[in-house]
Amino acid sequence: MSNWQPYQQGHLDPDFAFREHIFAQFRQAAQRQSQAGPMNSSTSTATAKHAFEARLRDTKTPKNDINALILDYLTMEGYPGAAANFSKEANLAPQQEDPSIKTRQQIQHAIHSGDIETAITALNALDPDILDKNPELHFSLLRLQLVELIRQCNGGDIAPALDFATQQVAPRASMNEQFRTDLERAMSLLFFDHNTKLSPELQDLLSSDLRRRTATKVNEAVLVRQDQRREAAIRALVRMRAWAESSARSSKKKDLPSDIDIGLSDAVEFQELTETNGHEPMITT
Amino acid sequence: MNMARVQSPLVPTQNIVPRNYAEQSAELRVLKDEIVGHVQHKEQWVQKGILETVVNTLQNSTPSRSRSNGKETANYATTSGGLSDDELVRLLCLQILASISCGGPSFLSPLHAVGVVPVTLSYISPNENPPQVVLTALRIIRNIAEATSAAPPGSDDLDVLADALFKREHVGSLYSILVQASADLMVQEQKRLVSALIARLCKEDTHQNPLTDGGILDALATILASFIVARGEVIPEAEKLAQKDGLADMIPAPALRGASLALTLEAISAIILNSRFRCCMFLYSPAILALLPLIEFTPVSKEPRASWSPDVPGIGGASRKSFGAMDYLLPLIPTSHLKSSSSQLTQFPSTGLSRNVFSSRRSQTYKFTGLDPTSEDSDVADHPESPVVPWLIYVVRSTSGFERVAAASVLTSLFKAGLTSPEREQALACLVVPLLCDLIKEHQKDVPASVQQATFIESDMERDWAILEKTPEVLARLVGASECLQISAHECGIIKTTAKLLKDAYEPMTSPLIPKPWTPNPDRNMSSAESSAACRLGPPGQVPLYAHKIKMRYSALTLVAGMGMLRDDYRKEAASQDLVPFIVESLAARPGKPQSPKEKAASAKEGRDRAGVSAYGHNPNRVIIAACNALRCLGRAVSVLRTTFLDHDVWQPVNKLMKHPNSVVQIQACTVVINLLATSSPMVEPLLGAGISKVLCEQAHSLNPGLRLNSMWALKHLVLGFENSQKKQLLEELEPGWLVQLISDDSSEEDTLHTRQRRSTDADDDEDMDAEASDEEESHSWVWSGMNNNPRRMNSTRMQKAEARLTALREADLNPARKARADATSIQEQALGFIQNFIVNPDKPSDQTELVDFLFSELGENRLFGILADKLKVRVVGAYGRRYSKTRDTVVLYPQAKIIMHITYILVHIAASIPRHRQLVIAQTELLKLLGGHFTSSSVEVRRALCHLFANLSCLEDDDDRQHCKQRALELEKLGVLSKLEGLERDDTDLDVRERAKAVVAQFKAPTIV
Repeated sequence: MSNWQPYQQGHLDPDFAFREHIFAQFRQAAQRQSQAGPMNSSTSTATAKHAFEARLRDTKTPKNDINALILDYLTMEGYPGAAANFSKEANLAPQQEDPSIKTRQQIQHAIHSGDIETAITALNALDPDILDKNPELHFSLLRLQLVELIRQCNGGDIAPALDFATQQVAPRASMNEQFRTDLERAMSLLFFDHNTKLSPELQDLLSSDLRRRTATKVNEAVLVRQDQRREAAIRALVRMRAWAESSARSSKKKDLPSDIDIGLSDAVEFQELTETNGHEPMITT
Repeated sequence: MNMARVQSPLVPTQNIVPRNYAEQSAELRVLKDEIVGHVQHKEQWVQKGILETVVNTLQNSTPSRSRSNGKETANYATTSGGLSDDELVRLLCLQILASISCGGPSFLSPLHAVGVVPVTLSYISPNENPPQVVLTALRIIRNIAEATSAAPPGSDDLDVLADALFKREHVGSLYSILVQASADLMVQEQKRLVSALIARLCKEDTHQNPLTDGGILDALATILASFIVARGEVIPEAEKLAQKDGLADMIPAPALRGASLALTLEAISAIILNSRFRCCMFLYSPAILALLPLIEFTPVSKEPRASWSPDVPGIGGASRKSFGAMDYLLPLIPTSHLKSSSSQLTQFPSTGLSRNVFSSRRSQTYKFTGLDPTSEDSDVADHPESPVVPWLIYVVRSTSGFERVAAASVLTSLFKAGLTSPEREQALACLVVPLLCDLIKEHQKDVPASVQQATFIESDMERDWAILEKTPEVLARLVGASECLQISAHECGIIKTTAKLLKDAYEPMTSPLIPKPWTPNPDRNMSSAESSAACRLGPPGQVPLYAHKIKMRYSALTLVAGMGMLRDDYRKEAASQDLVPFIVESLAARPGKPQSPKEKAASAKEGRDRAGVSAYGHNPNRVIIAACNALRCLGRAVSVLRTTFLDHDVWQPVNKLMKHPNSVVQIQACTVVINLLATSSPMVEPLLGAGISKVLCEQAHSLNPGLRLNSMWALKHLVLGFENSQKKQLLEELEPGWLVQLISDDSSEEDTLHTRQRRSTDADDDEDMDAEASDEEESHSWVWSGMNNNPRRMNSTRMQKAEARLTALREADLNPARKARADATSIQEQALGFIQNFIVNPDKPSDQTELVDFLFSELGENRLFGILADKLKVRVVGAYGRRYSKTRDTVVLYPQAKIIMHITYILVHIAASIPRHRQLVIAQTELLKLLGGHFTSSSVEVRRALCHLFANLSCLEDDDDRQHCKQRALELEKLGVLSKLEGLERDDTDLDVRERAKAVVAQFKAPTIV
């Protein structure tokens, strides 16, 4: 978890915020469970009596809305199959037909498996404007491709990697301070044995996390292009909830239970969410 | 694996061998993958001549289609999926062009060499091309527009691009794009691109009018309406009314995913700018009429909104009548004691100097509309304000960022066009102006060093910049003519903010040019002199930050002008912010370091004058014009004129601009000169030394009415401070015959107008206007498309009213005769003012006599009096008026108050000299009779001037004059003047007029020697 950093633009990585929140819930739930059983029940009854909880219980959330939210999540994050099945099961009209959802999935898959060239070609087939208008994204992909090349030539012939860096990456990188630094760092990978202990920055480049971050960036860029909305609605909801809670707590009227459950305290249910939330299952392919 | 290994598959030959489409697309795809994102690859390919190949392939793959068959129309709207092989080739070609055009300004010249704009524009019709193709074609145009605005100075071809895009055939395509019903995201992006292009490129009447006539404005209004629906802000019971009026089919579905409120508002704002007619067209768009009708509204329950009720004590019931449903979305604004600006302006004292605000405001807007203020007032009374106005205020309040600015911009246009109710001014002051001021302050951030040379700006920062560029301009337009709004902006500390904006815009930069990227093969320079234009790259463009700074100069200067429009204390405050050196540098195309006079002297001594000039870039004409405007407004404060302006030798650069090749710049420079030549100005001497009088006299002979007007105005100021000999010399230089021509322009006006009109339409390649000028019948038959031949709509009184008003406004806006007449009247006003100032010499009455005699000898006294009498008559214009007017065959023109006033004062001055001249005036029976008819004029100025005149006429010089005086009194009594004066003494609303009338009547009855 420590290697999840806010990404370069200085925004809070939505993934990060989202997961952080859920993990916090998870920790609390685990803590509660590890504590003595009877005590657990007594605390829960105590909190249940709180006026807030009572109000919470009385609030009815339309199931349809929740289903729509889930469908939105599946569509936005690029799970076409799951989305189709879900909409059938939940008896929802499939969200607006998104022709890009399949391509997005392919691109994600290509990036996760290190085949950046295919990803770039697919992205250009989808919409060449994306890379032309987004140098940062383009550079991220090129750098990832460079890292992949370096990974391949580990100990062997470094000519392809050098050639690629000179012809493709360097001109793009020369226009921007940050790009230059990133390129230099990636190039320094050539000088080290990847199996030895590397500095955290270099380790980071070789970890699968870089692929994942780049894939997320690409997915968001495609979504922003089409919709001006870059993430699933539920992420905004989660952030809003966190904001509301913290501002409610910092306000003078502290008429709140000491901790508000996100409603996922059931450990089994929770496990599932972490499974589907990340891209980890896809990486294993 | 490695893309760099791909060797050039396409051999760039002029005549590509036709191969099958599949092969072509495979090659094009490889090419696309290679160039996307890589500027250097683009450069290399362009130098190899790829552009011609691509354009040829594109055109060869396009079957020559018969445009007449509309069968294909339906195909593309439904099947957005698969493309045929030839369509795919076309798409790929366009994508390659789009990618190359994305490379920056240096690609502009090769792209233009292969005629990329006309070629691309033949693919934007959604009825003939699949959506991907249309989208890519629009992107090319967008990229070219972006590159053009970043291109180095001197190649400002945005207007050329706009001319090409807003041709009639393409307007049809744009319309088809905007009215597509599909929810497809690609279609939505097309709509966004079209809106953005309109917002960026549409600046002039020649573009705005075809877009209005072509239905684009209505289409945009319909998209806006879909936002009203989506936001749930349709006025209650609107649907019922819409049913009745046949407008129900105009109620759109809620805004679709991917539609942009900000861009839609921006595009609307660009089209309606500066025209009452177009503003009204927007308000009367069928979709808007359907959703936001004027309906009486009673809230269901008063209880929760008790505090909102207009019956609350202290709020005053005055605004009750304007309380529509939409007003319940806005907080109540207490009615203020501040009067609206227009009433204040009319109270502005007018002296012989005539440096008053009202006329200058007119001159500034003379090109917008030929309506005179009185008819505007009645117009407002007849037509209550549209609920669009409170809705827009609500949008401004409930949105943020660019949506807020764009909504405020539309709102501003409606306000300036007088389409808001008078009470609304206060609401704008309380609800809108502070928000705009805050918007500027919020986005005023320091630019991080990393951005200085960056060629790519993050979208967040780009948006912030766009907001910062646009908001001051909107604010300036909004507050410009309203004191109440200026006070509100001032309370927000806007003057200080503006000063900072302008100063920041002059932060020196290392280099405004885009740096060359590092290249692996530096010596491979393909562009040689002999290669064709399509293979030669142009000069690099400017970095985004630089373009931003230039735009900020313009915006900040505009805001300085806006805040300096009315109040002296604001002008002084602006001057005290050390703004003047920055404004002065903005007058130069190549500005230097803005410095105070002291610094300047010091640096001149050290001889490092003008070192590192490029650090401050290059000011385009619009910055120069904005700087002139700012100086003109600040220069209205005499104290600023005498201190700051003098210290900075403002006259020098302004004088230089008087000979600028661009006539618009000349006109604006002249408006500054007008103030610099005021009698109290210390800069008259140096300007005279620099030969300003000769330049002004030349400009007074110019064909350009704007130049004639402003130069006459400046001469009017100049002549006032002159000695007799100088005055005579000046009149000789101006040529007395020309002066007569200027003031008697009426009879010849229509003819000259027509020849002039022909000439200008010949030069103008706008087809729409051409057609109108050449085909008489067609101009008659302008039909409002809003009726749509729908019988219900045609029977609806609401719609009929709208159509009648639109027809009248269109006539007022577009009728060139009317515009020319307004020009001629303003010029006459200044020319008469010149004569008035010419003969006045308050210090030496004998001099005045000499001048009057000189004037008579030069102009001929009978001719002069004859012309003056003509001016006072009611004129009927028929012959040519008919051409443009559908409803009225003739136009009746009443003499304007300003003209009457000037004529009266000329007579006042003549009568103030010796008894002989007085006798001369009294002999002009017809003239006096005509003047007598204006005792009931609504203008206080005119009534006061008349009192002056008759006071002078009844004046008794000495004992010898007694006989004459009695005779004069008798004469005047015969004309009925005495009884009218007594009427004034009794009933006039103005105290000053009553007192003057009283004195005159007393003088009549018992003449005493003064």
